[in-house]
Amino acid sequence: MPDPTFEALVERHSEEIYAYLWRLLGDPEQASDCLQDTFLRALRAFPRLRHHEHLRAWLYTIAIHRARSLLRQRARHESRQRELTDELADPQASVGQRVAERETRRRVQAAVERLPSKQREALILRRYQGLSYGEIASVVGGTAAAARTNVHLAQERLKSWLQPEDGEGRLRRRRGEA
Amino acid sequence: MSRTKIVKGKDPMQAVDALYAAGPSGTTVAAAQIRLRAALRAQAPQVYYDVLPRSTLGAVYLAAGPDGLLAVGLATDEPGFVRRVARRTGATPVRSTERLRHARQQVDEYLRGKRSALQIDVDLSHVTPFQRAVLEAARRIPRGTVITYGEMAARLRRPRAGRAVGQALAHNPVPILVPCHRVVSSGGELRGYLGDRIGLKARLLKLEGVPMLGNRCRIAGRSGAGR
Repeated sequence: MPDPTFEALVERHSEEIYAYLWRLLGDPEQASDCLQDTFLRALRAFPRLRHHEHLRAWLYTIAIHRARSLLRQRARHESRQRELTDELADPQASVGQRVAERETRRRVQAAVERLPSKQREALILRRYQGLSYGEIASVVGGTAAAARTNVHLAQERLKSWLQPEDGEGRLRRRRGEA
Repeated sequence: MSRTKIVKGKDPMQAVDALYAAGPSGTTVAAAQIRLRAALRAQAPQVYYDVLPRSTLGAVYLAAGPDGLLAVGLATDEPGFVRRVARRTGATPVRSTERLRHARQQVDEYLRGKRSALQIDVDLSHVTPFQRAVLEAARRIPRGTVITYGEMAARLRRPRAGRAVGQALAHNPVPILVPCHRVVSSGGELRGYLGDRIGLKARLLKLEGVPMLGNRCRIAGRSGAGR
């Protein structure tokens, strides 16, 4: 990695881009592969880059394209439910609590991964990566208003899908609303 | 700590936040970054460059990769040369006197008339197949002789491609090493060398002992200088 400017780019943004891929892909290993792919592509394209003002957004754009490609492959070839992590589990909790928490995490992750890709991308970029709607628009395409709508729709869908189990929730599911 | 519990009456987004807001642990991030740096180190193409500051042609910039010399810069400056090499190779060249010592010494001796042939590997992998064929053909033109664009096209069995040959030579990434200066127009006139640097072309031909008359030279097998 001979270029000190690119090295600085890796230092400054690799953690953030990894966190984004981790959230988007829901799989630490695949996020790590995708991170490599993103920066290797960036490395090849970097010398041809004329303007260096929007490097963060540029990296996000590459990362999103790589992630979309990986998700398409995954949709064709994989069906396993993936788990983000067990690191969040409380070591003091009882076995029963841990099982319940794990089940909740799986449910939450499955719901997030069920979102349409543009909504999932926009939600994660806004809510967890801290990008503005304008930045999201420049990264995923479309307008800032569309980004705002996607985030709103994603949240509404998740709220609807993740209603606690009760008679009402079961009734809604039977009606096909969730 | 029951951070991911979905509680009736509470916003279910709290459960989403519990899973996603914290992000990966420091250990997971560090492991991914170590893998990333190793991959970048392994992938980054190594391209080095150096300059022969005061030759008879002015400053001559040389860039080499693992497979040989891939760029020679005449009538340019350091940032311009670095940018050009970077665009072509995708790598950011690093200045290295040591790695270019051998090539720089040979080019220096050649331009001072102390050496008649250059024994330096040339890497033409970054040009199109047609341009590579043209440049390879140019390398076979003996020192001290010139041929025309049309003759070169005929040698390549593309007799109507004289203009395309001219274009391929005009974008020769390694002038001097690939002696595109030995190709001239049909009347022996020197045309198109690094844009309009005809003087450099004339100097290289004079160095090789090609008879010159102004901006014209004698073409082998023809009488008189030029037409």
